[in-house]
Amino acid sequence: MIRFNTRFISTGLLGLSLCFSSAVYAHTPLCSCYDNGDNTITCEGGFSDGSSASGVEMRVEDKSGKQLLKGKMNEDSEFSFDKPSVPYKVIFDGGEGHAVENDGDEIVE
Amino acid sequence: MKKKIVLFAGMMLLAMSLPAMAHFQMIYTPEAALNKGGKIPLALVFTHPFEAGHTMDMGKPEQFFVVRSRGENTPKKTDLLPTLKPVIWTSLTNSGAAWETGYTARGGDHTFCLIPDPYWEEGDGFFIKQNTKVIINVGGEPGAWMEPVGLPTEIVPLCKPYDRWTGNVFQGQVLFNGKPVPGAEIEIEYMNHKPLLDKKAFAKEAAAKAPQDSFVLQTIFADVNGVFTFGIPKQGWWGFAALDLDPDYTHKGKKCSRDAVMWIKAVDMK
Repeated sequence: MIRFNTRFISTGLLGLSLCFSSAVYAHTPLCSCYDNGDNTITCEGGFSDGSSASGVEMRVEDKSGKQLLKGKMNEDSEFSFDKPSVPYKVIFDGGEGHAVENDGDEIVE
Repeated sequence: MKKKIVLFAGMMLLAMSLPAMAHFQMIYTPEAALNKGGKIPLALVFTHPFEAGHTMDMGKPEQFFVVRSRGENTPKKTDLLPTLKPVIWTSLTNSGAAWETGYTARGGDHTFCLIPDPYWEEGDGFFIKQNTKVIINVGGEPGAWMEPVGLPTEIVPLCKPYDRWTGNVFQGQVLFNGKPVPGAEIEIEYMNHKPLLDKKAFAKEAAAKAPQDSFVLQTIFADVNGVFTFGIPKQGWWGFAALDLDPDYTHKGKKCSRDAVMWIKAVDMK
């Protein structure tokens, strides 16, 4: 009985951990950036299931991958920065498989 | 007395011979699910959408606003009433006073809400006031689409209203002052003639042909919880109008049908 319980619990734990790991992939990371028209850019991030992206790391890089600035999504899942003077890209880094890249050339008002 | 009966019978015949058409307040924008943000057009037209028939003159709306919600952020309300411009909208049979505006949408849900000026329907001898709601989404990140906005009469979607494939069902709950309306009568019409925003008119071509009048205006009833279910047979915009949710409501001393309208757009699976 005890053995059965242990097995049952470990199966349960395995099942749960599977659930957790698959839950991470069950939603899609989303990030869109907009030119505010005042030389600032605002990026809005989130997930397709509606969960918050607050605290997700944001990086702005030039086209060669050199980091220009770094920050985090605020409590409203927004990240604003001064528009770089060089061609750039914005990376929403929600972890492995959860990164979204926005090309600065495609960021419009 | 006999004369009266004959007259009454004649009127009944006349009434019956008129095609079944329902008044529908439209908030029209071409797409419900947009990939990218940007400026979108909006037209407010009070019409009979299946036939693109008689278009009624709208007065200046009491309220027109949008509630934007994205992820877990607190929804934000923006008044759009000052942005409305009067236009004349042409139907297949007449033209009527309507309104248009533009709106810059970023990511998330945008719930457009209209509380119109009551319309006097001479033929029926009562006013009609259709509080109308349309929910669009930009970028796929959902917001508070499932929450009531708090309109006096309102349809609250139980399915994400902008993610319906053709053939899916749409479920909604009819509310009056925030409470479900058991057995509410709901009329459904298909936006059968494409609104041409540049011409401020309906396209002459119809997308579907009704084999008989019953199909122009479909009728269903909500269950005891005010919940209704509709299977969507064709891509495009579908309007749901829950009728007369406040039977004692009057305007200027006359009966006023206080309705709740909602539009959803279904897309073909390709």
